[in-house]
Amino acid sequence: MTGLAQTLAFGVLVGGVYALAASAMNLIFGVMRIVNLAQGAMLMLGAYLAYSLWRATGLDPLLLTLVTAPALLAVGWVTYYLFVERARTTDPPTALVTTFGLALITTGVIALIWGNEWRLAGPGYAGRSFTVAGLHLPQAQVYACLVAAVVLGGLWLVLNRTWLGRSVRAVAAGPEGARLVGIDVRRVWAASYALGVAAAGAGGALLSVLYPFTPSSGYHWIGLMLSIVVLGGMGSMAGSVLGAVLVAVGEALTSAYLSPGWATAVPYLVIVIVLLARPQGLLGARLREDMSRA
Amino acid sequence: MRTFLGSLTAVLLLVTACGNGSGTAGDTGPIKIGASLPLSGPVADASEPAYAGYKVWLDRLNRGGGLLGRPVELKVLDDGFDQNAVISNYNRLIGQEKVDLLLGTFSSKLNLPASTVAERHKMLYVEPSGGATEIFERGYEYLFFAQPSTSVDLPEQFVAWVKSLPPEKRPATAAYPTQDDPNTDVAIEAFAKELGALGVRPVYSQEYAPETTNFDTIAAAIAAARPDLIVHGAVSADGAGLIKALQKQGFSPKILFQTNSPSVVSSFPEAVGPANTEGILTSVAWSPATPYPGNAEFVADYTKAYGRPPTDDAANAYTAGQVLEAAVKAVGSLDQRKLADWLHANTVQTIVGPLKWDERGVPDGDMLLAQWQRGELEIVAPESARTGGPVITPKPAWAS
Repeated sequence: MTGLAQTLAFGVLVGGVYALAASAMNLIFGVMRIVNLAQGAMLMLGAYLAYSLWRATGLDPLLLTLVTAPALLAVGWVTYYLFVERARTTDPPTALVTTFGLALITTGVIALIWGNEWRLAGPGYAGRSFTVAGLHLPQAQVYACLVAAVVLGGLWLVLNRTWLGRSVRAVAAGPEGARLVGIDVRRVWAASYALGVAAAGAGGALLSVLYPFTPSSGYHWIGLMLSIVVLGGMGSMAGSVLGAVLVAVGEALTSAYLSPGWATAVPYLVIVIVLLARPQGLLGARLREDMSRA
Repeated sequence: MRTFLGSLTAVLLLVTACGNGSGTAGDTGPIKIGASLPLSGPVADASEPAYAGYKVWLDRLNRGGGLLGRPVELKVLDDGFDQNAVISNYNRLIGQEKVDLLLGTFSSKLNLPASTVAERHKMLYVEPSGGATEIFERGYEYLFFAQPSTSVDLPEQFVAWVKSLPPEKRPATAAYPTQDDPNTDVAIEAFAKELGALGVRPVYSQEYAPETTNFDTIAAAIAAARPDLIVHGAVSADGAGLIKALQKQGFSPKILFQTNSPSVVSSFPEAVGPANTEGILTSVAWSPATPYPGNAEFVADYTKAYGRPPTDDAANAYTAGQVLEAAVKAVGSLDQRKLADWLHANTVQTIVGPLKWDERGVPDGDMLLAQWQRGELEIVAPESARTGGPVITPKPAWAS
């Protein structure tokens, strides 16, 4: 029984970080209808920034989300106007290829700056655990999960309690309607993309403490984030959180009770099953594409 | 008719002279060597030093006049640790780049298909890495491994050391986590078999996928089994990943052996914490301290060029170059059949010691057992190659 509780605890803690990464991708998809394949590379950029700052200053890598998120916000803003905007006005496949190209460029730049060696930030608590009722709760995972919850809460507040958030939701519901009520849709798209990348920057700082990473580690995260977004429902932030916890718990249970060899296949199985059984995801709305885009 | 035959003879001679792998010392242009390496992707950290090892060998070779009196060029393509890309790269090197000679790529995963491309084109293929048994069980005639022994012999020094321990100090139980990889699979299987013969009982044995980054559940299962010994089939960052997860579980085995990862001296100590490296064991093919001819020169050249000492991977690439060089110099041509025949029949002096191969291209040497001691990766067995103190056992508990 302790074994099951321990496994579930691992899953839930990791699920918090998954939720942040997937919500960032889902925000961009929900507003712009773009699957941003550069999100994994942006996660890694956040991780390398946090790692370097931790090395240079000794500051806690988790607190450095306060630096990596704004830094990646700027990166998102610039890359949106340089690359993504032009692609999104053509057709979805072009946007997909553009963001993949952006992922390749970002990965290459990271490798040029930081090299290809794997890195891992190691603050004092990285190898310690809290012991609660016989369960080992890794401190790094607990703190990372809390920071992810705070960032997600902040994102929720921005989307639900600010004018920018209302504009974002209005554009997500229908850009033509939003334009009719005076919203600068172009700026909202840019802001949504930049916010999504900034959230990836925060997620990267969390990952820098949790797992060893290399410049190309981002590609692994793309599949994972996509599966969570598909499971939770494309465009649904709450769905992303729920999907993240379910995928993370699924991975942990598979690793513990089936085989660690199958754990990384869980996200891909999730994609196939959800697309067959409930294409709109757990909390996604089933919309007529012609009406939703009108 | 005589004119026609004369023309035909001239054409045939020209084709022979330009043909792949049949150049002679009479040619004057540079000799082109082609290789593919995973310079990006998950094992890029290991292949960068390998590329550097190739370049240090090439510089020394060209300083000494090149091969067959001709300068030598190296064309390296990036395969991103992808099997399809490595096949495409070697086909391109042979078919489009028209290279005269090949050098191998890194890892068993990539050398498995890459060596097939070389064999199909009947080109000599000296690989610096890739010791999986299945690579050498296909009857290939042009394939040669440039390390002292293959994966199946990896346990030799470690098992001999365990055997040398008094019975009360030997591990009673062992855990065998391993990445699903053609190299580590074979090595871990061999470890389990040989340690089993010494009475070491397996309490955990699981494979995980190469994409695995989260080792918490694996570490929890191992900690619950409480083995005296962990033999971990690690490939790259997974070595540090498991160690961090074990630390979080508060479980430190008495003996920890990992393949590959601990020899990546540029990132391993930082990732696990310098103090936590103490006592961790691994296998290496090469040591900077062994007195084999050319070894000190290699270490000096590499350190001068890159500002840091070479790694095991760099040395293995350099060794592959030495093997190729020895064959070409001895044969006096680029005839691939003759080069392969010569290597099958002769011993080559390299920086990892004398290498001699059987009909499969498998060398008959021994790997070295290394251990992290006081922040340095030291050779602890065999005795003749020892650079460090006696093997530290039991491994100290995690420092933090």
